[in-house]
Amino acid sequence: MTRRPIFNRRRFLGTAALGGAALASPAYLRRAYAQSGGEVNIWTYNNFVPEDFQKQFQDETGIKVNVRLVDDQGKQFNLLAAEQPNPTVDIMTVAGHRFLQFVDSDLLAPLDTDRLTNWGNINPTFSESDWATVRGNKWGAPILSGMEVLSYNTDYVSAEEAQTWDTLFSEQYSGQTAYIIQDMMSIVMLMMGYDGNMVEYLDDPDTAARIVEEAKQFLIEKKPLVRKYYDSGAEVQQMFVNQDIVLGHSWNGPAAALITDGFPLGMAIPQEGSYGFVYTFNIANNAPNMDNAYTFIDAVLASPEIGAAMTRASGFISTYKDASQHLNDLERKATSFPDEQLANLQFFRAEANELKYGLVDPAVEAIKAA
Amino acid sequence: MSQDVAAAGRRRDAVSGSDGSPVFWGRLIASAPYRALMALIGTSPTRQFVLLAALPVLWVLTQHLGPMLQMLRVSFTDAYPVAVGAEQNFTFDNYLRFFGDSIFWMPFFRTLTFAAVFTFCTLIITYPVAYFLARHVSPKNRMLMLLLLLIPFWVGEIVRTYAIMILLGNTGAVNLALRTLGLIDRPIPFMYTSFSMGAGIVYLTALYMLLPLYSALEKLPKSLNEAAADLGAGAWTRFRRVTLPMTLEGISSGCTLVFLISTGFYATPVLLGGPSTTVFAETIAGFFHVAGDEWPTGAAFATIMFFAALVITFAFQRVMKALRKGDS
Repeated sequence: MTRRPIFNRRRFLGTAALGGAALASPAYLRRAYAQSGGEVNIWTYNNFVPEDFQKQFQDETGIKVNVRLVDDQGKQFNLLAAEQPNPTVDIMTVAGHRFLQFVDSDLLAPLDTDRLTNWGNINPTFSESDWATVRGNKWGAPILSGMEVLSYNTDYVSAEEAQTWDTLFSEQYSGQTAYIIQDMMSIVMLMMGYDGNMVEYLDDPDTAARIVEEAKQFLIEKKPLVRKYYDSGAEVQQMFVNQDIVLGHSWNGPAAALITDGFPLGMAIPQEGSYGFVYTFNIANNAPNMDNAYTFIDAVLASPEIGAAMTRASGFISTYKDASQHLNDLERKATSFPDEQLANLQFFRAEANELKYGLVDPAVEAIKAA
Repeated sequence: MSQDVAAAGRRRDAVSGSDGSPVFWGRLIASAPYRALMALIGTSPTRQFVLLAALPVLWVLTQHLGPMLQMLRVSFTDAYPVAVGAEQNFTFDNYLRFFGDSIFWMPFFRTLTFAAVFTFCTLIITYPVAYFLARHVSPKNRMLMLLLLLIPFWVGEIVRTYAIMILLGNTGAVNLALRTLGLIDRPIPFMYTSFSMGAGIVYLTALYMLLPLYSALEKLPKSLNEAAADLGAGAWTRFRRVTLPMTLEGISSGCTLVFLISTGFYATPVLLGGPSTTVFAETIAGFFHVAGDEWPTGAAFATIMFFAALVITFAFQRVMKALRKGDS
């Protein structure tokens, strides 16, 4: 891979398509290099900070990037809560529908978008979405979006069959399916015609409890058909590759990674609908390297090529304008959906999280115990 | 005499360099803090004991008991980590939650049952191995055999768990062998069942059973079995009346270790288990990092399992002690 000098960004952009995965960053980073140095501490998921970008950023700014991998929103919350008011982290990766929990606990600093000259590079669908603003402030820069999809081995399951979640619960594929049980609770509620976000039932907890009970009973009834309740993207990838399962609920990222590796996998957003989520880079309250954190986030947002590199590495869909233009055909296929399927998608919302998880968590335990 | 001189020379070299100047150890011995410490230790045996015991006791308290006591403390609080400006209160609610909701009893008792069954399986599988090693392998080859058995333990738990996955998966070695031999047309779904989980746990804990058994069997004099044979006892009778009773201590140690370890396994059940094998460690982990973020409840549940495992182990030890007394 050829690494292009940051100072000549125009030339780089002109030849980026030929350069493939080469990355670009704005020229002002060279000025920042002279001014800052130091370090920036980031908690994020595997492959969310592309290695080449990280190296280039470090070379050109003198800011050392320390990445600590996380695999769960709850763990991040607990770690940060334990460290406040003097956290060691500057940037973390919070899913949009978990903002409220972090904001309510004073763990995040409001994001000053005026300090991010590249804020406009984010697709407004993500940067200006209703979940992106909480109490009048932005709390994170959207970087990657994901969704709950029905993934299937194309050698065994047809694209038509994957148009409905019912296939996941059919006798035909008994013992060959897997899902994340917590996520499936929301999807089953949606399948049943209810609001899986539970926002509609904020003032009616009895109805909310009845709906969760209905979804719970459904999943208990279907328990003999499932091969595995799993937790991580790596697990579902492993099960597909080993042919332990032929279809399952998954996040699009791990499924896309398999597709780009050439595995015969397809993804669909079934007609009953599904949920999407957005990962954001956020700045911790009392971050020790606040200026460097802004420099890093602005650099990450600098160009669609960086967004494409993040998509390529993680499998999740970039939130940047025009990022898909820098993916090859297979990568684009693995990270895009037909419009009619996207129409079935809605975002997870946080307003009713307390009500929802207060009911869903015990239900999940009950399903596992049944 | 010449040996004493050589030893004195070595000691001298240790404290001083070739040019006679003191090296590190020499400087240490000559330093005032060292001399003060030695003078303090030398004043009385009690003081000597206290000073020498201080470091290991400190280690046990801070590194072994400390985290457990901290977990115990958290289990009696209503919030942890405590948010800035929030208040932490003492409560029994986390314990009452377990006893008040039968949802949690199933994984709890399932874990204890699995642990007991897998401990028994490990014993049955490893006893013949230990017996063969201690009684039939020549002493000069025993170390080599033990090393061979230890090889899998040079890698971590996760790697060994994945090794089981490679063996038992639909495209794994076992199914491949069965298909190659023409015994099956479609792969047998070994994975994500109590069988695969059991295979993983037995594999992971075998060494903890094997070593105490081997130790007990190695100490058993061959003359006892020979005497029993001279008196007309058959092989089964010799095993039942001589070998087994004489190795009860090894069985007791091995079973205790394997049972306690089995109750705490998390990664192996997660990776190898299926929808009907959820163990209590998974329930506990859920409180720590899934949507709930409820550390105090997780801490309380971990404490409950800890004491339950201790009580069962204590009862088991009592039974084994009674058996040993009965046999003696």
